Amino acid sequence: MASSGGIRVFYRQRKKAATIAGGVAKPSAASSKKQVTGAVKVPTPAQQIHHGSIDLSGSEEEYGPEETALRQFDMDMRYGPCLGMSRMERWQRAARLGLHPPPEVADLLLRRQEPGGGGAAAVNLECLLDGRI
Amino acid sequence: MAAMEVDGGDGKPLLERKQAFYRSLDDPFEIRDEKYKGQQYSQIYFMRLHNMRNLIYPLVPKWKPQLPVCTVLGLEEGKECIIVGTIYKHMKLKPSILDEYSKERSTIPLVKPHNFMHPDDHLVLEDESGRVKLGASVLAPSDFVTGIVMALHGKETSDGDFFVQDVLVAGLPPQVERPIISDNKYVVFISGLNVGGSMLNPLQFQLLVDHITGHLGDDREQSMASQIVRVVIAGNSVEVPKGLLSGQMVTPKEQYKIFEPIKELDISLTQLVVAMPVDIMPGTNDPANFSLPQQPLNRCLFPGASTYNTFVSCTNPHSFELDNVQFLGTSGQNIDDLGKYSDAKDKLEFMERTLRWRHLAPTAPNTLGCYPFTDRDPFLIESCPHVYFCGNQDKYETRVIQGPEGQSVRLICIPRFCESGIAIMLNMRNLECHTLSLSTNLDF
Repeated sequence: MASSGGIRVFYRQRKKAATIAGGVAKPSAASSKKQVTGAVKVPTPAQQIHHGSIDLSGSEEEYGPEETALRQFDMDMRYGPCLGMSRMERWQRAARLGLHPPPEVADLLLRRQEPGGGGAAAVNLECLLDGRI
Repeated sequence: MAAMEVDGGDGKPLLERKQAFYRSLDDPFEIRDEKYKGQQYSQIYFMRLHNMRNLIYPLVPKWKPQLPVCTVLGLEEGKECIIVGTIYKHMKLKPSILDEYSKERSTIPLVKPHNFMHPDDHLVLEDESGRVKLGASVLAPSDFVTGIVMALHGKETSDGDFFVQDVLVAGLPPQVERPIISDNKYVVFISGLNVGGSMLNPLQFQLLVDHITGHLGDDREQSMASQIVRVVIAGNSVEVPKGLLSGQMVTPKEQYKIFEPIKELDISLTQLVVAMPVDIMPGTNDPANFSLPQQPLNRCLFPGASTYNTFVSCTNPHSFELDNVQFLGTSGQNIDDLGKYSDAKDKLEFMERTLRWRHLAPTAPNTLGCYPFTDRDPFLIESCPHVYFCGNQDKYETRVIQGPEGQSVRLICIPRFCESGIAIMLNMRNLECHTLSLSTNLDF
């Protein structure tokens, strides 16, 4: 299990409103993402039940449209399953097979890999479900 | 190359062994720098479906013009169309690891059946978008296994099944034209030596080695032996006593029992390798990895034989060409697995099916161990071989099959040498086979 974010991820104070496949996060959810530092409450069983949707937006990072685009790329079944390969590898495989994957995705991933590059774009090099399955 | 000096030196000509130009095509089967990143088998199934679909799509308009091709999710009830996907065969008797954890320990038989077929087995077609159960009498589940990619013509019924009217498989791949070879050149196939086991008669194997290297017989025999250009050992060359491999500590006194069979094999191989090129493939019992493609046996296992450049340790499956004649073969795991999960009148029919499905081992990774490749499926047969062999079978069988575009393949089932004493000789000039049978039985 991904242990980034530590115990605060485990015992989340508030349920995040983000959905799995790049849904639009509600504006109120953005502010509610900030955790109460220092106070680790033991969650009630009601809080622990995620009501069916697994919160997959990672630890406290906010994700922007770049990450959304990459998640769309992950879920696109034309390029095969996303698990078990890094996003760049999957993109390169799709390019090799002649499937014409969107070049913007490759740009985003390359920019992230450059040292000091990308600005505030917080994109993940691995797919969303990496390490969780 | 060994120049045979004939005793006596009274003007008899030197017999020189024939040679053939060899090229190994094992590249796709080698796992060199692959790093396991925790991937599952979905990637190899995706590659298989993608590559096979690209092969099948061009064939569809010629097969059923005017019919639309759609995905499984795009099926509409009553609309006749063609779908392309991977077959999954749901088998009632297939052993499942989950049976160990099931609450009700119903009558699980202690003796596992050899064949897991059942009349209730049904087929399911799957592509990226979904899966659909197949129903019809056209499709006999006993002829198919999980992992084949094919096109189906039919329509969806009211209860959600797909009623199949016709089936299309990719068929034999294109074949390079066989070169014309003017003189007789033989390739010897052996498999199932099981050196160190109780079934092998060491004298029989020594007889074989002596005969092939030309140490036996008169001029005529020796001249026949000089026409042998290569020996291919198709798996299961060694048998280590199973009791010692159970994971318990082995005392130094017992350790010799583990490496003794390999040492014996090395001695015999060195005699062979001095005389002619030898290809050795790993098999189920050999000290190589379990999952296909099995990697070549390590050269340090054969300190004697590996010093010669005629010794070639190959992967399983093994693909090579000799004088531009294409050979492809395995040590038998793929055909044996097909035999467990489907039915055919003989092993040659299984082999023919794998060629027509264009896939060496469709049951990998479902029931046959396989490495989870992400960028390719190495078992896809891209070009049709001229000779297709399979080792460690019960008996010797051979046939020639023809393809629609003039392809012609010689299929060979190589019997286990420890049981039968038979090695197969293939003449590259006309692709005819005959057996080389050795016996140490003194009663005629």
